[in-house]
Amino acid sequence: MIFLEIARVTVRGLLGRRRTILLVLLAAVPVLVGLLVHANQGSLVAVGATVDALVVRIILPLVALVFGTAALGSELEDGLAVHLLTKPIGRSTIVLAKTAVAGSLTAALVVPSTAITALLIAPASAAGADTVALAVGALVGSYVYAAIFVALGVVTSRGLIVGLGYALIWEGLLAGLLPGSQVFSVREYVRGIASVISPGVLASVVGSAGFLYAAIALVAAVAVAAYRLARFEVRGGD
Amino acid sequence: MTANPLAPTPTAPNAAAPGQPVPANAAIVLERVSRWYGNVVAINDVSFAVGPGVTGLLGPNGAGKSTLLHMLAGLLRPSAGRVLVGGQPVWRNPGIYRTLGLVPEREAVHDYLTGTAFVELAARLHRLADPRAAAARAIDTVDLAQAAGRPVGTYSKGMRQRVKIAAALVHDPSTLLLDEPFNGMDPRQRLHMMQLLRSMAAAGRTILFSSHILEEVERLADQVLVVHAGRLAAAGNYRQIRRLMTDRPHTFRVRSSDNRRLAAAFLGEPSVFGAELHDGQLMVRVAEYSGFTRIVAKVARASDVSLFEVAPTDDSLESVFAYLVSRR
Repeated sequence: MIFLEIARVTVRGLLGRRRTILLVLLAAVPVLVGLLVHANQGSLVAVGATVDALVVRIILPLVALVFGTAALGSELEDGLAVHLLTKPIGRSTIVLAKTAVAGSLTAALVVPSTAITALLIAPASAAGADTVALAVGALVGSYVYAAIFVALGVVTSRGLIVGLGYALIWEGLLAGLLPGSQVFSVREYVRGIASVISPGVLASVVGSAGFLYAAIALVAAVAVAAYRLARFEVRGGD
Repeated sequence: MTANPLAPTPTAPNAAAPGQPVPANAAIVLERVSRWYGNVVAINDVSFAVGPGVTGLLGPNGAGKSTLLHMLAGLLRPSAGRVLVGGQPVWRNPGIYRTLGLVPEREAVHDYLTGTAFVELAARLHRLADPRAAAARAIDTVDLAQAAGRPVGTYSKGMRQRVKIAAALVHDPSTLLLDEPFNGMDPRQRLHMMQLLRSMAAAGRTILFSSHILEEVERLADQVLVVHAGRLAAAGNYRQIRRLMTDRPHTFRVRSSDNRRLAAAFLGEPSVFGAELHDGQLMVRVAEYSGFTRIVAKVARASDVSLFEVAPTDDSLESVFAYLVSRR
């Protein structure tokens, strides 16, 4: 099946040794923090706030950014994607396979990191529910972020920079300040989804609408990427 | 080859207007194609048709060869005009790749795959019935079987070129486009690649390759398209083009024992337009290269002048291209 062929070679391309080690180390940071908190059992640290600050705000978008832009955008830049584009394959199949791989690899790193950290920090009474809530949020967030960053890589040759700007400046600073802007923040979707599964683990503005927004963002990103890939023109040349 | 598969004649290479009949066997047709980037015109109103056989796309660097090939490969949208391969428009038509293969100039390949895996991947993406056999056949064709088990990342430039060609012909396309295929190849690899392309053309395929080196085109191509500054400068078989290139006005620099007397003698020759004296040198403008080289010694002897040096002043390929464009 074409989808699996594209997915398989994309996984091999994304799991270069240096990139994998770096991202695994990044995903290990929250676990280390969790271990420290766990060792000092007296300290009062809220599990939701910790995971939100470390994973949802920083590590999830960064890992998704690396995988999402490398999956397709950088291949379009360095010419590797030409081998894929000059085949009789629907462009949406290419985008779906690339997005699925980028999202799955992001989730493979971020979801365990989230779950272990939550288990270490959460109070015994709510450990199960909080862990599941945050892990599901991270899982959904992995695919939504990956889809957005794959699309960014098709739309612009500076996907990495634009994506970094979105994750750090928009999501990190502005989306919290401007009322109504949360609708365009993947971080808010993740918080909303977690707050629905385990009420009280995180405060959320969007609440259960987070599921809907996440679905819309995912579909829109894939559609934009497929549309633009069908009209992709090689950059540079003579 | 008896029929000339290039639609426009060498004297009017751009004349093929839309709707004008093209040869029935033309695999590639460009109809008044232009391409611009912002205000920069990269390709300017180019029309041609290419049929089976090897056709060389010749032009200096920056002439627009890659832009033309990218439009033919469906990787660039023509700003105006139509690009057809096998009678179908190429732009936004991925189905075209069932009969079309492209060997890109850029070297990017999946370094972590072995040669076999790389070509097999192409076969699978083409949904071939037996990808393994097709890959083995293609690798055999480019004579890479010995290195096929090694990762492509360890390949030399010439081997990368060959593995890219194997991947591009794994589905046995009727039309094959190659962007500067001989770049980075040593003479032995070059020779082998030429034999390969010739044998593929002999099997009825349409092969179009770009090059900025006259000698490569001369040795390989039955038909030549000359591109300069975004325009089609000439089209025809190689000998016709070659004659156009040599039979053009030239300026020769002559040093002799008596430039003044020699100048007067040259001016009596019908093939000489003019003669000027500059810093002890004689500049002679002539109608055509070969005609002047035949008479120069005779004229000097008749006027009893000793020739020290006769040199064409302007024989770069660039000036040849510029001349071909200007005469149209």
